Amino acid sequence: MTSETARAQVRPPFWRDVRILKVVIQAIFLVIIVTVGWLLWNNLIGNMRASGLPTGFDFLDRPAGFTIIDSDFRPAQTNLDAILVGVKNTILVSAVGIVLATVIGVLIGIARLSRNYLVRKSAAFYVESLRNVPVLLIIFFASLAIIGRALPQLENAWQVEGLFLISNRVIAVPWLASSGEATFPAVLPAVFLAIPAAALTYVWLRRRELRESVRRALLVAAPLAAFLLAGGAVLAFVGEPSQVSAAVTFWTSLLTVVTLAVRVAAWRTRLSDTTGRPHHRVLWALGTFVVLGAVVYVLLGAPLDLTGPRLEQRRISGGISMIQAYAALLVALTLYTASHIAEIVRGSIQAVPRGQTEAATALALSPTQRMRFVILPQAFRIMVPPLANQYLNLTKNTSLGVAIGFQELTTVTGTVIGNGNPASQSIAILMLIYLTFSLLISLVTNIINRRLQMAGRR
Amino acid sequence: MTQPVSADVETGAPAPEEPPPQIKLTPKEWVATNLFGTWYDSLLTVVFGIGIGIAVFFGLRFIFITARWEIIRVGLTSLMVGLFPRPELWRVWVALFVVVLSVGFAVGGARRMVLAELDQEGDVATLGLRPRVDWLQLLRRLWPVLAFLVVILAFSESVQTALWLILLLGGTYATYYLGSRLPRSAARHWLVAGLIGMVAAFGIVIWFGGVGWDDWGGLMLTLFLAVAAILLSFPLGVLAALGRRSSLPGIKVVSVAYIELIRGVPLITLLITGQLMLGLFFPRDVVPGLVVRSIIMLTLFTGAYVAEIVRGGLQGVPQGQYEAAQALGLSPPQMMRRIVLPQALRNVIPALVGQFISLFKDTSLVAVIGLADLLRVARFQLPAQGAFAGQGLFAETMLFAGFVYWVFAYTMSRESQRLERRLGVGER
Amino acid sequence: MKSTRLLAVLAALVLVLAACEGDAQEDVTTTAADGATTTAADGATTTAGDGTTTAPGDGAADGESLLDEVTARGSLVCGVNDAVPGFGFVGDDGTFAGFDIEFCRVVAAAVLGDSEAVEFRVLTAAERFTALQTGEIDVLIRNTTFTATRDGTEGATFLTTTFYDGQGMMVRADSGFASIDDMANTDICVLQGTTTELNITTLSQARGLDMQNVTFEDNSALQAAFEAGQCDGWTSDRSQLAGVRSQFPEGPEALTILDEVISKEPLGPVSRDGDDDWSDAVNWAVIATIQAEEFGITSANIDDFMETDDPEIARFLGLPDPTEGTVFDPGLGLPTDFAQQVIRQVGNYAEIYERNVGEDGLGLERGFNALWTEGGILYPPPYR
Repeated sequence: MTSETARAQVRPPFWRDVRILKVVIQAIFLVIIVTVGWLLWNNLIGNMRASGLPTGFDFLDRPAGFTIIDSDFRPAQTNLDAILVGVKNTILVSAVGIVLATVIGVLIGIARLSRNYLVRKSAAFYVESLRNVPVLLIIFFASLAIIGRALPQLENAWQVEGLFLISNRVIAVPWLASSGEATFPAVLPAVFLAIPAAALTYVWLRRRELRESVRRALLVAAPLAAFLLAGGAVLAFVGEPSQVSAAVTFWTSLLTVVTLAVRVAAWRTRLSDTTGRPHHRVLWALGTFVVLGAVVYVLLGAPLDLTGPRLEQRRISGGISMIQAYAALLVALTLYTASHIAEIVRGSIQAVPRGQTEAATALALSPTQRMRFVILPQAFRIMVPPLANQYLNLTKNTSLGVAIGFQELTTVTGTVIGNGNPASQSIAILMLIYLTFSLLISLVTNIINRRLQMAGRR
Repeated sequence: MTQPVSADVETGAPAPEEPPPQIKLTPKEWVATNLFGTWYDSLLTVVFGIGIGIAVFFGLRFIFITARWEIIRVGLTSLMVGLFPRPELWRVWVALFVVVLSVGFAVGGARRMVLAELDQEGDVATLGLRPRVDWLQLLRRLWPVLAFLVVILAFSESVQTALWLILLLGGTYATYYLGSRLPRSAARHWLVAGLIGMVAAFGIVIWFGGVGWDDWGGLMLTLFLAVAAILLSFPLGVLAALGRRSSLPGIKVVSVAYIELIRGVPLITLLITGQLMLGLFFPRDVVPGLVVRSIIMLTLFTGAYVAEIVRGGLQGVPQGQYEAAQALGLSPPQMMRRIVLPQALRNVIPALVGQFISLFKDTSLVAVIGLADLLRVARFQLPAQGAFAGQGLFAETMLFAGFVYWVFAYTMSRESQRLERRLGVGER
Repeated sequence: MKSTRLLAVLAALVLVLAACEGDAQEDVTTTAADGATTTAADGATTTAGDGTTTAPGDGAADGESLLDEVTARGSLVCGVNDAVPGFGFVGDDGTFAGFDIEFCRVVAAAVLGDSEAVEFRVLTAAERFTALQTGEIDVLIRNTTFTATRDGTEGATFLTTTFYDGQGMMVRADSGFASIDDMANTDICVLQGTTTELNITTLSQARGLDMQNVTFEDNSALQAAFEAGQCDGWTSDRSQLAGVRSQFPEGPEALTILDEVISKEPLGPVSRDGDDDWSDAVNWAVIATIQAEEFGITSANIDDFMETDDPEIARFLGLPDPTEGTVFDPGLGLPTDFAQQVIRQVGNYAEIYERNVGEDGLGLERGFNALWTEGGILYPPPYR
């Protein structure tokens, strides 16, 4: 047999050639997907036209015609503005809910491993009852039975004048409010926001592997560019007039103060690595934050005041107040998510290898030291991905505010649709906004996850 | 007090390992260590003791004294089957019997197959092991289900219901016993028997002049939505997971787009899409009803999560398995079907069951879009009935509905943990 | 992974933008083809009802009227409520009951001859008009108020009002509020997404009362909140308030309905724009119940009228005229004896009223909902 025929016999027939099959399969698959997609799209547009439903997005500019409680929204404002208010409410519930749920969840998770029988069993009871019940039911229960029935009426509210007020209509706590009319040029907050942007760019670049020739130049140019870009963006956003209230200036300055505090912590860590002395970096960072914050506060002329809630003629003045729907949603989501977080925390602590605990005991560490220096840091690394998942779930579960009339994004969109605006476009916008939320949260947690993984071997 | 157990002479199997010696505490010692170990512990015990006492007192007082349970008594049928036409209710009873009995039979057959694994020959009698039921262990295992049955009996208005339920329990044990006594050749088909039973039950309700699923409601609708979505989402999820791992960019992009788009949005928005928008995708005369549209959206939703779980399982299968399969000349479909997927799925059974429990609870969201499932009947329909309108009996209805959901979800998660331990998942 | 997610979001964006693109061309053709229609002020969108390319006055878009479709199908699909006591709710025997439900049965009896041939679709407030527009339901009988916007942009045609109501405010008798103007800085309980909510907002703004709306999905939750003191006032249709007050556990004296009528609330069935045959048929089916009450015909005594000498009644019931022997057919597309079917199988307006919201139901007085001969404003047009 000659080598040519041997070579010729090696090639399989085209209907068994993997390379051709790959392309053919992909082509067929894509053709099917595109055909089905085109059919569905056609049906959608055709049916919408036949029913006389508009297929554009002009409804966003029409006046909304409804009010949103607890906000400055007027019925004459557009549907788009209403949706943005809904987004703001969603963020309010999610942010506070995530913080509270984490705190409660961690406590209960640790309680589940307590030596005390009662504590252990109570925590187990809490977790097992809430985890196995639908969250919608908990929301209904919180709104109808807890907030509605268990809390007192406004006349008999549990209150300490100027400190807090709890009733079944509103819950109010002290809060910072802007005081005085002082304003500052917009350049100031622009600078305050640009500094952290530059610092982040610098830190991010420093970790990358770059060619030596470009490295030094880039490490100077990129932060500078980020500084100018961020500053310019803020100035463009503010536009005219270019004066900003003192309160906003203060809040933005805090971002710069935080950046400086983080740099101080990094400096102390480096110092500790070289000299071997304890770094106390948390104390140093906190100290920097407080001192610098106070300095800025004084320099800006005391722009904020701590106000307590005061009941005047059935309305609360001062402080910050939560309406009943918000309180009910917050309580329900916090309790539900906390039960899941408790399980995650417990599982993570138990997933730390037993050898660690035993070695720590052998080294004569006290139980608190054991937890703090050996177990919790390792447990934390395991915890982050499932915790991120729970935060995402909490954000998505805020959409159930539609069941109790809390005007977050889904409820507002439902009202917009109910007022005769086209459903398909509204739903498309709704999904896009939630996708953006998910993307943002996943991005942040992916970054945190990666930072944690780099330190360990897994 | 325990004697060493010698190896089994007949089969040559090694002696089972003894458990480590248990330290038995006297009641006094137990209290001392568990409740009052340190001053801190004692303080906690006192505080929690008082708190628990108060909670238990108010709870019991509500349940037995202040609550007005007539709303549940009157609405029990609605809670269970919603708007199902009452003259056809016998279909539901027959279907319930068929399902439970066939599931009992299937469980018995499965147990029989498990026992047969220990024995090479497959005859139960020679082993000396009888499929006897350990009543105490069963009670500890299934007490939520028993509590559920007791509560239903307490609220049902007729003695007939009680008799039927007792007959059901007895029948379940009988079929279980039967299934575990069959020769191995027959018991092998336990899964098929269970599935045939479910299909038959479904058919009894729907076919032969029966009631279409648009008229189902209550707990029946909840279970139907959950089971339908579970069955349909599983193949979808597996396909999407395989597609995501595929090397063909066309298939991969489509799979990723599907998974990430669905996972990024809340379920309620998908259900609202099904309610308001999905009908527009169909030609005018074949628009499916709200039940089918909800099942479609639930399936799409769960499929994306199942895909992620199965993808994790596929990642856990060692690369060596793929290479060995290819070395043996298996084609990719054969490799997937016979080598990779069985291992991948076995690894993620707990996560899959967790997802399905989640799905069962999430079916309650259809209450918001107008389907008369258990939660809608409890929260919206019962409190609007003539006798109860305006009395705000929400605590009663919510507690009952919550209890029903809890029984199902808790039992499923406990059984899943048991299964996990049995299969040795996660152990190396 | 990040890049693939970004890809997914971008793909979604592209899809959404493509929808914009597709629309720009279509608007030109529809506004060109349809001569005598009204478009929105900006001209770029086509308002519901004139997006079709059929000539005005025609039936539904596919050329066939719902009347033929429903008759062929043999059942009526009716959009209803499942949680409004007295009007639309689910009884403990699993069947729908209520004032609006019975009017669904009236339409079914008239068009199909069988009052039981109804499929009920429970609709939430968000989807009620969408369901009507897309044809998922044939008729919407769900406590819906007749307003200009709904008639205009929401592609709906409002038929004979079955229940005249007005919006009122109810407060606790010991609250000290004598009129709405006393209620500055108060929280008001109201149902979400209703004209009631819009009306109270407008009123509050106009009079500078700074009222806050506390919204609820259904009346049960609202009432629970009102009783728990989560709001100072409850605004709703006066008939509903009266019904609640009459059955209030602490007694009717504990509540006061303020005198002021905030707005008019005419409630009635709704059908889809552009299908005149169907709208006419449904309309006259409903009118028949009122006309029956005017003639004094009930489901109990209808047999006494089968041999009547009165030509008006004979014409109404589809009987041969006493003198000329011909049967009257006004060309509505309904069977000539539709009024008989309606009265026999469901009853006249008085029976429907008393069964659901009157003596045997919520306990409301007839008020405006009585015949014009008895001090109310129900005035059935003549059947000739």
